[in-house]
Amino acid sequence: MRVLTVKLRRDLRRSRAQVLGIVVTVFVGVMLFGASYDAYQSLTASYETMFDRVGFADLWVTAAPEGLEATLAADPAVEAAEVRHTVDVPFRIGDRRLVGRVVGVPEGATVNQVMVLDGAMFDPSAADQVVADQHLARAFQLEVGDTVEVATPVGWRPVTVVGIGASAEYLWPSKSRQELLALPDQFGVLYAPDPVVAAAGPAAVRDVVVRLREGVEQDSELSRLATLAMAAGGGDTYTRDEQPSNAALQEDVQGFGQMSFLFPVLFLGAAGLGMWVLLTRMVVAQRAVIGTLRAEGMSRRQVFFHYLAYGVGTGLVGAIPGAAAGAGLALVIAHAYTGAIYVPITVVRVTPSTPVFGVLFGLVGGALAAWAPARRAMALEPAEAMHGPAPTGRGKVTLVERVWPGRLTAEARLVVRNALRNPRRSIATGLGVVLGLTLVLVSWGMIDTVQVLLDRQFRQIQQADAQVAFLAPPGDLSALGRVDGVAAVEPVVQTPVSIVAGDRTYGTILWGFDRDTTMHRFLTASDDELRLGDGLLVGVDLHDLLGVDVGDTVTVRVGPTGETFDVPIAGFVDEPLGTQAYMDLAVLDGIAPQVASLARQAMVRYRSDADPDAVRRSLEATPGVAAVVPTRALEAAADEYMGLFYAFVGIMLVLGAALAFVLVFNTTTVNLAERTVEVATMKAEGVSAAQLARLITVENLTVMVAATLPGLVVAYYVAAGFMASFDSDLFTFTLHIRPLTFLWTALAVLVAGFVSQRPGLRTIRSLDVARVVRERSV
Amino acid sequence: MNEMAVRAEGLGRTYGTGAVAVDALVEVDLEIESGQFVVLLGPSGSGKTTLLNLVGAIDVPTAGHLEVDGIRLDGLDSEGRTRFRREHVGFVFQFFNLIPTLTALENVQLITELTGRDGSDQARAALEAVGMADRADHFPAALSGGEQQRVAIARAVAKRPRLLLADEPTGALDLETGRRVLDVISRLNRERAMTVLLVTHNAVIAEMADRVIRLRDGRIVADTLNPNPVAADRLEW
Ligand SMILES: Nc1ncnc2c1ncn2[C@@H]1O[C@H](COP(=O)(O)OP(=O)(O)OP(=O)(O)O)[C@@H](O)[C@H]1O
Ligand SMILES: [Mg+2]
Repeated sequence: MRVLTVKLRRDLRRSRAQVLGIVVTVFVGVMLFGASYDAYQSLTASYETMFDRVGFADLWVTAAPEGLEATLAADPAVEAAEVRHTVDVPFRIGDRRLVGRVVGVPEGATVNQVMVLDGAMFDPSAADQVVADQHLARAFQLEVGDTVEVATPVGWRPVTVVGIGASAEYLWPSKSRQELLALPDQFGVLYAPDPVVAAAGPAAVRDVVVRLREGVEQDSELSRLATLAMAAGGGDTYTRDEQPSNAALQEDVQGFGQMSFLFPVLFLGAAGLGMWVLLTRMVVAQRAVIGTLRAEGMSRRQVFFHYLAYGVGTGLVGAIPGAAAGAGLALVIAHAYTGAIYVPITVVRVTPSTPVFGVLFGLVGGALAAWAPARRAMALEPAEAMHGPAPTGRGKVTLVERVWPGRLTAEARLVVRNALRNPRRSIATGLGVVLGLTLVLVSWGMIDTVQVLLDRQFRQIQQADAQVAFLAPPGDLSALGRVDGVAAVEPVVQTPVSIVAGDRTYGTILWGFDRDTTMHRFLTASDDELRLGDGLLVGVDLHDLLGVDVGDTVTVRVGPTGETFDVPIAGFVDEPLGTQAYMDLAVLDGIAPQVASLARQAMVRYRSDADPDAVRRSLEATPGVAAVVPTRALEAAADEYMGLFYAFVGIMLVLGAALAFVLVFNTTTVNLAERTVEVATMKAEGVSAAQLARLITVENLTVMVAATLPGLVVAYYVAAGFMASFDSDLFTFTLHIRPLTFLWTALAVLVAGFVSQRPGLRTIRSLDVARVVRERSV
Repeated sequence: MNEMAVRAEGLGRTYGTGAVAVDALVEVDLEIESGQFVVLLGPSGSGKTTLLNLVGAIDVPTAGHLEVDGIRLDGLDSEGRTRFRREHVGFVFQFFNLIPTLTALENVQLITELTGRDGSDQARAALEAVGMADRADHFPAALSGGEQQRVAIARAVAKRPRLLLADEPTGALDLETGRRVLDVISRLNRERAMTVLLVTHNAVIAEMADRVIRLRDGRIVADTLNPNPVAADRLEW
């Protein structure tokens, strides 16, 4: 069928602007699919390789009793079970301070090994050598040979950095599951010989880290071993999936996975709709030709496959380079990403099936888009050849006119009737607007949500400016209160705990605050404010996670001290970051005095006119103070990155506008093509091109504006679904979109739509009336 | 004795059913000899197109028997009709229906390719036969109406059908242009011994036919042989 192929090529070339728009959209969609999916694969592979290399644990048991390691090591499912200790202590590096963590590494460790990137491993018998974690080293410009001071109850103790290292446990430097987003200048890790850490006193937590044998049934063995460990008196257990660093990275990886789904759906959807509109028009325009070919003996099948080939061909022309570009972009993303978060190993996994799927998307998408028009062409009878080019759509009095109070002007009637004359086309224009809105609102909504959540966490809930850690448990806090710029000081206790209800356990942080604290507000989901009483206030996710209700009694086991007590649930708070527990400090002091004194710190609020840095320095100079941690630094860091976030929204805005463009441009040109004879006649009768353009602009804008409201609703629900997929006990991602965002998004997409129809309108001016008459059908 | 190109018995075509039924063709008995140039005349709505479409297997009779080129058409399924059209008939319509994105030659070649012949020689020969060989590489927009119609005729006869069906082929053309188109058709009729069935409103055109059949209200009301057909270039109207 060589001539048929020539016809196909020339038909497409005749509509090259529309076809190009579709091809580019397919290209972008397939490229983004390939890039995000392969990036997802490569990141997963990079982590897996790193995890294998360092023997990343499968299970952690914290506050493990003596002998548990031997029990676990003897289990047939266990490859290795090792003891190591960790302790959270203030560090002093030069004149900067932070509360960091020293992680013990036993001699000959096979589980959770430290990968030395610079310098050397410490001498296992040396008491004053450490390996600094890469993130700490970077944040404080530490080099091999530098000195770091570690707080002890008897004062600062210097240790030497003999190496810079990385560990799978702190690939992303999270302090705990509840504090996933620790900032590198507020939290960092030193690796030291385990006996040294074990000797750090009661604050040191004894962990057993477990690696399973290969090939064992992961889920069932992990839960069996966890149950076994808890029964033997372990404080808490968590698996690799729950491990803070890994959990944080998985959220990101999952994001790539999500994008690899969202992008092709939006872009191929838009391209498909554009193709559908274009091809439907083409079939209508060519019906006399199709009838003639059918009369001359072309079979239905041949007609069907001829028009199907338009979609498939266009899809492939976009998808094949798109798949190639996607594979390339995936490499760049994988390297940039692992580089940006300093994963020491980058494994680029180029999955041959990804480009194959990308190409398949183009092919199947093209075929789907062309399916209905091709069916329509196939159904045309040879007798169509006897009809001249038929006008499309019927004019009729529309519903709008009937329900409109009063009479519409002639021009308004024309606009309304034309808009409804070809509902298929108006729907495509509207869908262009909907798709554009969706892409923009999903990304913009993400940023709005983050900002709303940050505001709730750091402005409405947390009322302190800094948390103060001491070298030794403080007697009284009056010295802090006297520091210039301090408005209020309160004692606080922060400790890791396990909350047990029946056979369910949840590891979190327990805070003890003054009963009438002004440092933290306890807000419920409906924004009611709770007060501390005799019971426990917990994050609302525990309602489902532990299956508990207000009034139920839970058992709290304190990580570092092993103290255990029962306490009733007094209420549920709804907090964006983490799912934590709160109780009255005095009550805690009564039932768990060890931890109440061991983990005692202070919350400080600054005067609003004070310079936070100056107050922080004054506080750090106060005797007994080890470190002052700003509690709103995360918010400040997020603010710093807002520019970046908005750049991301900007890109999505461009892509969203592109989506709208493909459909609005296509429908506008198709609209004009369908009315070529009509427009040519009007031109001939002296209606100016500008007048015609205005009529059609008003018509298009009417359709676009009408699509905006339902479009925003659809976009809202897609964004909400997208957001909900990231929601967990650690991050509450409930979609919040500020009213202005809706307005700006709608405006942006409408402007894009308005601009998109301009090039189409130009055909009015260049319309060759003579040619129209000669060819009769265009 | 010439073989029969068309043999119809009690042929009928009713559109719609019940109250809205239209009898477009009623009880038509007809035999057309191979190689005859037949003109179908009749007022608008008399059933000319309907008859032509039945003979060309574009449409299906609702009554009677129909045999064209020795093939029974009544009872043929859609695929069978497609195959029949592909092998036995060529169509010329009032509207030329050329594909605007293909040149004259390509428009013709498309059909020869579709019908399983390889093509370009046959297509060229067909253009030659209609006197359009020198415009083979022009696109339809660059051709006059008469030229477009001649290309359409070339397209219809390129596959060398035994039967040419033309429905108002000059309907959209002026006198002079129409004459040239008719001349092409009559030459193909003579030189290739191709049976021609031509529908027209224009009684003058009937003068060039071997035989004139008049229809009214779906029935044949007159069927006359024309002993001295006039050459197309001598027609006057
Ligand atoms: N698909 C159809 N459905 C209903 N009626 C039809 C259909 N096709 C034709 N008719 C009717 O059948 C009758 C014969 O129509 P036909 O097209 O054969 O007439 P014609 O002689 O070719 O007329 P004209 O010279 O105007 O082309 C007319 O009354 C017409 O309205
Ligand atoms: Mg007719």
